[in-house]
Amino acid sequence: MKRSDRITAVVLAVAVGVVMILAFLVHRAQGVTALVRVDGATIKTLDLTSTSPQTMTVQGVLGPVEIATDGKGSVRVTHATCPDQVCVHTQPAHSPGEQIICVPNHLIIVIEGNRSDIDALAQ
Amino acid sequence: MKKVIAAVLAVVVLTMGTIALIRGRNTPEPVTSTYFLMDTVLTIKTTGGDAAAINDHLHELALQVDAMTSYYEAGSETTHLNASAGTGPIPVSDEYANLLRTALSVELTGGEKTFDICISPVSSLWGFTTKEFRVPSPGEIASVLPYSQPDQLVVSGTSAALKDPRARIDLGGIAKGYSLDVMEAYLRTVSPQPSQVIVDFGGNLLLYSAGRKTDWKVGIRDPRGDGIIGYVVSGDAFVATSGDYQRYFEKDGTRYCHIIDPSTGYPARLNQSATVITSLDAMHGAMGDALGKVFFCSDAAHQQELYAETSKQGVVGVVLVDAGGARSTLGPITLVSTGDQ
Repeated sequence: MKRSDRITAVVLAVAVGVVMILAFLVHRAQGVTALVRVDGATIKTLDLTSTSPQTMTVQGVLGPVEIATDGKGSVRVTHATCPDQVCVHTQPAHSPGEQIICVPNHLIIVIEGNRSDIDALAQ
Repeated sequence: MKKVIAAVLAVVVLTMGTIALIRGRNTPEPVTSTYFLMDTVLTIKTTGGDAAAINDHLHELALQVDAMTSYYEAGSETTHLNASAGTGPIPVSDEYANLLRTALSVELTGGEKTFDICISPVSSLWGFTTKEFRVPSPGEIASVLPYSQPDQLVVSGTSAALKDPRARIDLGGIAKGYSLDVMEAYLRTVSPQPSQVIVDFGGNLLLYSAGRKTDWKVGIRDPRGDGIIGYVVSGDAFVATSGDYQRYFEKDGTRYCHIIDPSTGYPARLNQSATVITSLDAMHGAMGDALGKVFFCSDAAHQQELYAETSKQGVVGVVLVDAGGARSTLGPITLVSTGDQ
């Protein structure tokens, strides 16, 4: 093998390595977001990869709904004025495809992201 | 040096080509629509075909089922039948009679821990119809239970009757599953065919790909923690889940869920969730929805008997989480743990 061939091989290997690392970083950076929708319209987009917890109140059809992120990738409904409290009972959501629903408020929180292990959720 | 540059260029071009290929492979994009009806959410995700139009039509079909079955809407067949309680048979539509017969057939399957579309007087005592929750006294339950039994409903041809003037039926435990039956029948005929449709109607799933997809991964919700306890792999199917973790109220440290055991008049306490998978055949969406409640109210021994009987009628498999959190499956399915969830 000629010296130039060896250089070519090394450079090729390095180039492939760099591309793989870049691809990995890009993939990881495509974060998980929570979309808060009322009557189908997205009124808030929350970045679940953010490490600072956040609490906000949005207006549902029935009344105010308090939503909190925990800074560890989860979101939940912490307070709502609906009579059945199904949304407050729902466990924190963090995986793409998961939903938190408040029917009386026509409010739905959908987790979106590239990574989804499952096609549908039985719940 | 030229060789080196050429090699690097080749790698870059190859990588970009691969990324473009991966990105392009997933077309067409799915269209997801969300609707609020029947006191729950209908989410439809359609890939291929005239996706947006399909979603709207499926919603329209669910609205029609609601108009026929609703407990609350004046003008529904349920309202008419309830208003006629104690006065003898009234005429009902073919479709409605067929749905009532499906409910009755599940009631016969269930034995003691039966499905009961006549339970609503007891549910009302607990406040589940008005959402003003309370724990009724044993005396109240004992006085209401006799006319809240499935034998109150008599169906003959296209007529139906409720025996006791105080008896009421509520199809809330079967109407969502039945809506999926109606949707599935429509999807079979629509042209051009979508490649995939996932319908989630308040705990009832329809997985449709006209048989092309045999490896749907269906996540099973963890009834107590967040995320899922694992997934099962299935072909096209209806998947109905009954659980105690969304619709319930708590009083003095006790959880009272919305599924009433018709043999006692008290909320069922033996399980945290039951997921019933049925094949895509006529009325199996309705059957799975109703059977979910029966499995949910039953102990392990009775669940096995139920599976032995219903596996001949289209039940593919059942995933169970009992009151202690123990997980089990019935039938040729495996609950695959996902570890990190």
